[in-house]
Parts: sequence; structure tokens; C-alpha cells
Amino acid sequence: MASEPKKVDRRKFLYAGLGVVALIAIGAATYVAMNPPVVTQTVPTTSVVTTTSVVPTTSVVTTTSVVPTTSVVTTTVSTVPATVSERAINGARVLVASGKVPKGATIRILHVAGSRAQIEAAIPSWESATGTKVELVTVGTEGDVYTKAMQEAVTKSGAYDAITIFSTWNGDLIEAGLARPLDDFYEKYDPGYGSNAPCSPIEPLASYVTKYKGKRYTVDLDADVYTLTYRKDLFENSEYQNGFKKQYGYDLKPPETWDQVLDIAKFFTELKLKAPTGAPFYGAYFYAEPRFAAYTTWITIFTSLGGILWDTKTMDAKVDSKEGLDALNKMIKLIPYMPPSALTAGWADLYDRYAKGEVAMAMAWPSMIKEAERPEAFTKGKNGVSLVPGSYVDVGGTRKLIRAAPNPVNWVGIVSNYAKYPELAYLFLQYMTSPEIGPTVILSGTILDPFRQCWFHGSYRDVMEAGYTPEFLDAFEESIAHSFPDIVIRGGGEYTGKLTENVNAAMTGTKDPEKALSDTASEWDKITDKYGRSDQLTAWQALVNLFPDDVKEVWKAKGYL
Amino acid sequence: MGKGSRSIKLLSVIPINLLLYSVLIIPFALMIYLSFVSYNPAAGYNWWQAPFIGLNNFYNALKDQRFLEAMGRTALFVTLAVGLEFFLGLVLSILMLGEFKGKKIFTSILLYPLMLPWVVVGSTFYLIYQNYGPINQIFLKAVTGSAPNTAWLANSTSAFLAIITADLWQWTPFMFLILYSGLSTVPKRLIEAAEVLGASSRQIFWRIRLPLIKPLVYIAIILRGLEAFKIFDTVYIMTGGGPGTTTETISVYIYKLAIVYHDISYAAAVSLIVLLIVGMVSWYAIKVLMK
Repeated sequence: MASEPKKVDRRKFLYAGLGVVALIAIGAATYVAMNPPVVTQTVPTTSVVTTTSVVPTTSVVTTTSVVPTTSVVTTTVSTVPATVSERAINGARVLVASGKVPKGATIRILHVAGSRAQIEAAIPSWESATGTKVELVTVGTEGDVYTKAMQEAVTKSGAYDAITIFSTWNGDLIEAGLARPLDDFYEKYDPGYGSNAPCSPIEPLASYVTKYKGKRYTVDLDADVYTLTYRKDLFENSEYQNGFKKQYGYDLKPPETWDQVLDIAKFFTELKLKAPTGAPFYGAYFYAEPRFAAYTTWITIFTSLGGILWDTKTMDAKVDSKEGLDALNKMIKLIPYMPPSALTAGWADLYDRYAKGEVAMAMAWPSMIKEAERPEAFTKGKNGVSLVPGSYVDVGGTRKLIRAAPNPVNWVGIVSNYAKYPELAYLFLQYMTSPEIGPTVILSGTILDPFRQCWFHGSYRDVMEAGYTPEFLDAFEESIAHSFPDIVIRGGGEYTGKLTENVNAAMTGTKDPEKALSDTASEWDKITDKYGRSDQLTAWQALVNLFPDDVKEVWKAKGYL
Repeated sequence: MGKGSRSIKLLSVIPINLLLYSVLIIPFALMIYLSFVSYNPAAGYNWWQAPFIGLNNFYNALKDQRFLEAMGRTALFVTLAVGLEFFLGLVLSILMLGEFKGKKIFTSILLYPLMLPWVVVGSTFYLIYQNYGPINQIFLKAVTGSAPNTAWLANSTSAFLAIITADLWQWTPFMFLILYSGLSTVPKRLIEAAEVLGASSRQIFWRIRLPLIKPLVYIAIILRGLEAFKIFDTVYIMTGGGPGTTTETISVYIYKLAIVYHDISYAAAVSLIVLLIVGMVSWYAIKVLMK
């Protein structure tokens, strides 16, 4: 009789498996101990980049001859200076011809869904001119881009050659080692930045979205500077003008100060008008919601009052200063004159309500005017645009009006440190943002907006007016020149997140304003200590220099600088 | 049958065990490691180079007011939501015990919310509770004559109750399903015998039906409780944890720690503390069940 097979004891098998895993772990630990990893950290250094330019800097006829042992690129130089886009194309051709990049090479760009149409607008001409390909890796939301970018920073898989990110994340992604420094490429290919360039991105935006601790890390794709959009038809209504003048003693016009914002918002709300949708009509809509944008309103008022986020010597948070509390109290006073959804709804609610004619004025991104001027919008043809309101501040004995426009988020392009074709990826970014190609990109979608000087004037102006109103373009250009950066240092998202939560808490009455700001300051100090106070101070000092001159003037007068 | 058969058996379980180790055990081991170091991707070094800080993350978590509030808030949510879901599920299952026309169709409609993704439920209730939503514009307008302009999600109490309502709508059918399946399998002879002996419906329910389905009740409450503790999508979409952080549950807080603030190590430590607490509560609940 055959004996019964010995039954497999599952518990023993599991223990055996765990033992195998433990052995592997011990082996790995031993390996690491015997080969201690070199700790690397991103340390900003100053280096002199010497490049020998092999890029034709003029319009060229490029010929390539290949001999058995070497590849030779010869160029015939004509006298017509190459444009920014031509330099990008020529650069790509040289890379292909020299064998650094294989013919037909594909670069992969990670980006958010909203920008797909715009980036795609540049691809056919690029592929045709360079013989290389561009593959877009699209994710649904901005948060998804951040998550994937951070994953890439950890895994270093080389999955993407370039990534479009919010400039707010610059500090995090640069310090995480994902973003490649681009000074060498800027030097080599000249993307047309700087005061000598005929069509440079407008300062100070060009610097504060592309530089980190004094070095270039990104290519600017966008400008997200806020403007104030208002119902021109209501502001120019003689009945309302007379009523306002009688009540407040000055003319009804786009507000220059936040005190005027309050007066105008109150005036229109108290008229108890009905919007075309049947909803009550409100005087204003400024962001106060909990997820994302509450800080934009607060930081605009705060900066215009001469507030500074951190001490420039100690990196102590100064959000709970007098300017911070004044800014928050001004926001709280606006609550009765804004739709209740301003406290709870997402950022798009402002766009929706304004375009439906439920609000007299609102402050938001450039895409706001696109929404307000859509053919189906109630507000089409009724919109005025101006620089955001400011505050009067005493500067060395003189009362000055400081109007500083926030630039929340702002799309920029980074080249991955783990990219297969970093130089080619950079060249595509330069190409799609060039003065010549950029307008086509911008007008092909909604989330990327103009940022180069020449796009606001001359022949480009006519092109841009296909997508924006003339009044908007004038106001937007002025706003960019008066704009200030987001919190573009490491932990930027965390700092703004804590600020937004506490501003919203104060706005909804769940926290006392003073406590909300002191909690913010305390949490900010913890974040600063977590990343290293000295390192954060270096980044902040570099960023402070990129604020607009009038804001820096106020800081100097107050002794902050 | 001998060694060959044993080898085949071993080989056949290897794939699933490898999957178990790679999906469950190795990541869990990594999480434990991360909780004892200070790792943040933006710090500029790799995770295996992160400095060892011992129990600091755990110590900080136990001092973290926001963590403690999120835990308390989540526990309150679980108690209220699961309690109400149980009560409503029980009432519905009792009502459905009898036969009536259209019972099958009605049961299908009742179970419909269970099939919806949490994201859809969250988005729907977010819109319902806006000041322009149907609560104000239809329901309250019908009752009071005019539509109030209340932003329900701007007040911490009403926002919290709104989240509970969304959860009730989606998960009461789950309780109903389990309780109804239990109640409908109580032997009819016991009910008939009790009726013959003069027991009222109330006595039959409390003395016969409910005791017989007690194990199912415990299973339903434990399962639902564990799921409710993890609530994320509904809260994130409806309020984002706001106003301020007054509706922030522990899952939302851990998400913000790990993904928004990328404080991976601290998030790992907080997650382990939560796991320990939930594990202890579950162990106690199961111990009671086994009695």
C-alpha cells in the first residue's frame, strides 16, 4: 500500500518564504554597507560655462557630409540673423546630424490635459523641420502632473524628457534633483531673454519663473498674472454712476484701491439686482475657497500693503504682521458682497458666475477674459479689464499707490535630469515658446497665455487680438510688469496650502483672523526648519530680488530690505 | 503520489505568494523603514540615504493637534454614519420582508447607489449642497416659499452633516443588503411557532430575528466601519477638508502629508499609528463577535 504523500504545511511554507525575503534583505543591506552610497545633495554652484557654438546663429543652409571615420557638419552662413525658432530647429538638426540624437528620435513630454491642444499646435512643424518626434504624455489635472513629476524625481526612470509644471513647484522639483539647470542651453541657443532681446519675456516675470537661486532651470511657457475684469456696461451706466457718486463722493470707475473695491462691491450688491440666471447679483468675486486659491486674494492685498512673507535675515515668517492682518480683515469685509460659493466652490466657479452675469467684478487668471468673451457668455462685449487694485503706502514720507499683481502658478517647462535627449527636449521648448511660434501655440487653447513683449505690439498684436480683447492686452502687459512671484522656493506648495487653509478658515468664521495668521506663521516656521533655515533663506533672498521695483522700494522704506 | 505531487503543489502556490510578498509585505516593510527616517523627495537625497531619526515622527504625530483632530473627527464620522446606516438599513430590510408588487424593481433601485464610484457621489452631493443647488432652489424654496442663499459647505457643522448624508445615501443599501439577506433566512417555522404562542411582531423581531442574525450584524458593522474610516473621495471633492480643516478626515490629512506636502516619512508614521489603532479596535470587535 502506498503511503500518503506528506501534506505541505502552508504555515511552514509562508515562514520559509519570509525567511527567504529576510535573507534577501540582509544581503541587500550587506551590499549597501560594503558599498556605501555617496550622499548627493543639490548644491547651487556658480560655474562658468564655456561653449563652442556649433549652432548656426544665422539662417543657414546646412549640409552634412559623412566620411568613413568622422561625421562632419558644415554650414554655409548667410547674413540674415536666425530667429529664436530657427536657432531651435538648427540646433536640433545639428544634434541629429552629429549623431548625438538619432534621426526620428522621440522626446516625451509630460503635461496637463488642458494644454494639449496648445503644445500640439507646435508639433507638426517641429517634426517636419527637424525629423524628430514629440510624444505627449497627458494627465488629467495639475495635481496629477505634480505627483508624476515627484514620482519621477524619486524613481529616476527617464520616462520623460521634459515636463510642464507650475512655477510654484520649481523649488521642490529642482531640489529633488529632477529639473536640469539650463544656463548652458540658454547660452548656447539664446531663447531671446534679456533686455537686449527684441522680444524678450516681460520682466520681472521672465526672471522669477525661470530662475532659482540665481540659475535658470525652466523655460517660460505662460503668464498667469491676475487682472481685474469688470462689467464695463454697469460701470458706465449713468444711473449707477450718479448713485455711486452721491453715496461715496467719488466717481464710479475701476477700483484703484482695495477700499474702493469694498465700496463698489457694496454698492452693486445693495442694488439687489437680479442676474439673467435669476440668481442674486453680487458686487464682487475674489477667491476665498479652501482647496487652492484663497491665498491669491490675501497675498495681493498683503503685498500691496507692503507686507513681506519672510524676514530677509532670519527667514522668520511674517504673514502674521500688521499687513497680513489688515489684508485678511479687508477680505472678510468683502464676504457679504460676494456669492456664498466664493467660500466653498472650486476656482472655476468664479469664471462661471462672472460669465453668466452674476458678478460686477472679479480678479483671476488671463483665461478669465476668454471665458467672459465666449460667444455664449452673457458678458460678451461688456467687459473692461484693469490692473488689480492696490493700496496707498507711505514710502519715505510720500504716499504711493502700490499695485502689485500676483502670478499664481504659471506654467513653465523643465528638462528632466534623467531625460534621454535633454538638449532636444530643451530645443522643442524653446521652439514652441519662440516669438514666431508662440502666438500659434497660445491661441490654440486656453491655459497658456502671452508673455513676450512683442506679442502685445505691432503685427503680433493683431494676431493676439483674435484671442483677447485690446483692453485686456493693454492691462495684461501692464500687469505683468507689476507682477510678483508665487512662493517659488522649496516647499512652495506646502506653504501656500497652509496659508490657503487658514485664510479660508478665517473667511468662514471657523478661526479668528489673528489666530489663523499666527497658526500659518507657526506652521511656516516648521516647514522652514524641516528644509533647513539657511538653505530656505538663500532661496528667499534670491527670490526677493526678483520682485517688482516699487514693492522693493516699500520694503526698503519699512526696513524689511 | 509522492515528492512529485508535493513539488507541483509548492510550485502552484509560489506565484500567488510572490505576489503577496511584493504587493503587501515589501511595501509594508518599506513603509515601516520610512517612518523611522526623515525622507522628503524635495530634500535632495534618495530614500535609502535618509537620516535615521528613530521615533521622532511618531512622537511628533502624537503631539500633532491636526492629526488628533482628524482622528477624532473620523471616529465621530464612523460612529454617526455607520450607526445611522445600520438603523436605516434595518428599517428598510424589515419593511422589505413582506411581499409586494414591484419588490424586485424597488430592491434594484435601492441598491443602485452602491454601484456608483465614490467620486461620482462626492461630485453629485457637492453640487446639491451649493447655494444654487437643489436643496436651496427646489426643496427649501418649496417649503419656505423662497430659495435661501445658504452655502451649506461653508459652515463646518452643515458641511460635516452633508458628508454624512452623502455617505448614508451610498452605503445604507450595503447594510440593507446584509441585514435583509440575514432576516429573510430566519426559519419560518420559528416565526410561526412564536406567532402561535401569541408573540407580537415586536417580540418576534427582538427575541427571534435579531438574535439569529447577530453575527451578520457584527460583520456588517465591522466591514462598514473599516470602510467608513478610510473615507477620502467624498470629503476631498465636497469640501477638500474645509472650511479650513474642519471636515478633514484622517485619510485626507495623510493624503495631504504624503502628496501635497510630500512629507513621506511623517505620513508613514501617521499611517502606522492609524493602522495600530484600527487594528486594536477591529481585534476587540472580532473578539466580541467570536463569543
